[in-house]
Amino acid sequence: MGCPIEDDGGHELILAYGANSLSPQQQIDLERHLGTCASCREWAEAQRAVWTALDAWSPTVVSTDFDERLFRRIANEEQSAWWRQLSPVNWPWRSTLPVGVACAALIAAFLLKNPALRPEAQAQPQPKLQIEQVEHALDDMEMLKQLSIESASDKANPSEKI
Amino acid sequence: MDQDGMPTPAAQPSWNTRVKDNRTELAPLERDAELMLRVRDGDQASFGLLLERHRGPVIHFLYRMVQRQAVAEELAQEVFLRVYRSRGTYEPSAKFTTWLFRIATHLGLNWIRDGRAESREESLDKETSEGATRQVADRTRTVEQDMVYRVKLREVRRAIECLPSKQRAAVLMHKYEEMEYSEIANVLSCSESAVKSLLFRAYEHLRSRLAHMV
Repeated sequence: MGCPIEDDGGHELILAYGANSLSPQQQIDLERHLGTCASCREWAEAQRAVWTALDAWSPTVVSTDFDERLFRRIANEEQSAWWRQLSPVNWPWRSTLPVGVACAALIAAFLLKNPALRPEAQAQPQPKLQIEQVEHALDDMEMLKQLSIESASDKANPSEKI
Repeated sequence: MDQDGMPTPAAQPSWNTRVKDNRTELAPLERDAELMLRVRDGDQASFGLLLERHRGPVIHFLYRMVQRQAVAEELAQEVFLRVYRSRGTYEPSAKFTTWLFRIATHLGLNWIRDGRAESREESLDKETSEGATRQVADRTRTVEQDMVYRVKLREVRRAIECLPSKQRAAVLMHKYEEMEYSEIANVLSCSESAVKSLLFRAYEHLRSRLAHMV
């Protein structure tokens, strides 16, 4: 067997030796080599020491309510998912809302910049017009009334006309 | 519903109870992928079984990554929540544990990267004593042995903490989860040779810090 430290992949062999994961034959071969190679022996012993030292860090105790908390979170999430389906946030026309708001803002800005186009500006002369129209209408009604009175008296006394 | 508006576990049969009820029925199907496929089909008892099988390894792995018990449990909850959320799209294309540890590693690395471990230095003292207490107590140890153990544990934790996060994840999977190089490579999304290189550098660092301990 060649020197694992010099060989390609030899480190892997010594790591596996440290982890006691070599096959029996590989272990025998490596140990035979370690008996003659001081640098490999030193390396392997240090690796074994590290492996043993890491064993000191044994697993901790898991909280007894871990599962309960998890199931509660899942139930809570599923419930909120159900509500989310119904909330307006998920309505199909939701995506058009920003466009609508933008259009409204544009129209408002345009109207503010052009006061002449404001509906109030156009509506101002309207009262004057309405008064004139009412006066005309009243005059017309008065004229019609007089005409109807005259025609009625004509019908009542046809001889007077002749 | 309880006071917080959350559904009480008593409102429906407890998942743990259902796990026990179905254990004999599911005994021949104890492979993770099959259990996950059952979860996909709406069988929540199978999720309970998966949780029972992997809860410990995931929490211990995350605890050694972030070195805080409460954070590790919180991250582990997130891991299992993500597994549950993904049940609908689950395809057994990779080994279940690879997928599980990929999620766990991702969350652990993110937590470390985001600097949420800022006050870790302060907490380590508190956590070391707390951690030593929380670990399975060995009542046969004397006070002196216990003190030696605590010092040893503290050194191990510090040595692991000093490793770059990816090396740390690789060592923890290799040493404590006994994963193959190929599986670690899949979890870390890198090549096998990259994993060997990570492990070589990590153990070299650990040798320089811990070899004197035995």
